[in-house]
Amino acid sequence: MKASELQKQYNYDAFVPENVNRWINFDSSPPLGEQAPDFPLWNLEEKTTRLSNIWSQNLYTVVEFGSFT
Amino acid sequence: MNDLADKYADQEVGSIFLYTHEAHPGENYPHLTSMEQKFAHARDLRDKLGVNRPILVDALDGACHRAYGSMPNMTWIFNRTGKPLYKAAWTEYTSVENALQFFLDVAQRRKSGEPMVPFQVERLDYRLSDREGFYRGLERSGPKAVQEFKEMFGR
Repeated sequence: MKASELQKQYNYDAFVPENVNRWINFDSSPPLGEQAPDFPLWNLEEKTTRLSNIWSQNLYTVVEFGSFT
Repeated sequence: MNDLADKYADQEVGSIFLYTHEAHPGENYPHLTSMEQKFAHARDLRDKLGVNRPILVDALDGACHRAYGSMPNMTWIFNRTGKPLYKAAWTEYTSVENALQFFLDVAQRRKSGEPMVPFQVERLDYRLSDREGFYRGLERSGPKAVQEFKEMFGR
């Protein structure tokens, strides 16, 4: 899938089953106790960091995923 | 979850909010088409909804969110080396705190020299269903978000 199409489908414009359900894959998400995948992230000052920079700062790190809606 | 972050901050527990995509796009918060818009929505989460934990924004294509299962409001707990110790398909304060307290106790026991080894466990947790609160959230996004949710779930 082209990057532009992926962005469009992930950021769906309507909460309908065909838009939503294709992304739900919690059952096959990274396993507990094994090295987790790392990704770039951005803070609200629009500066880049990485998930690994976050989890390495504390004994434990709680990450809540979500959005305004 | 802000309270939880504050409560455990002095025990080497970090907390962040990772901004994903608009699960219920509406007239006020439509689907995302640019990083500028995504940053603006994330700032509103801080300024209007009072999320005071550090907010980090995922890529526009949701690379991180998709890799971790794409649930709309899930919570994960990682250790310092990047191994997930807890993952929940939904965010619920008591469930997260229960896990945190357990892991903090493990760390303390290891520090005391006890030979702690991991094992896998599955558990079904419960949360209060707050239908009114959920609909208030949908209304913030706009009437379209409310209507689409009702059409999908019929209530």
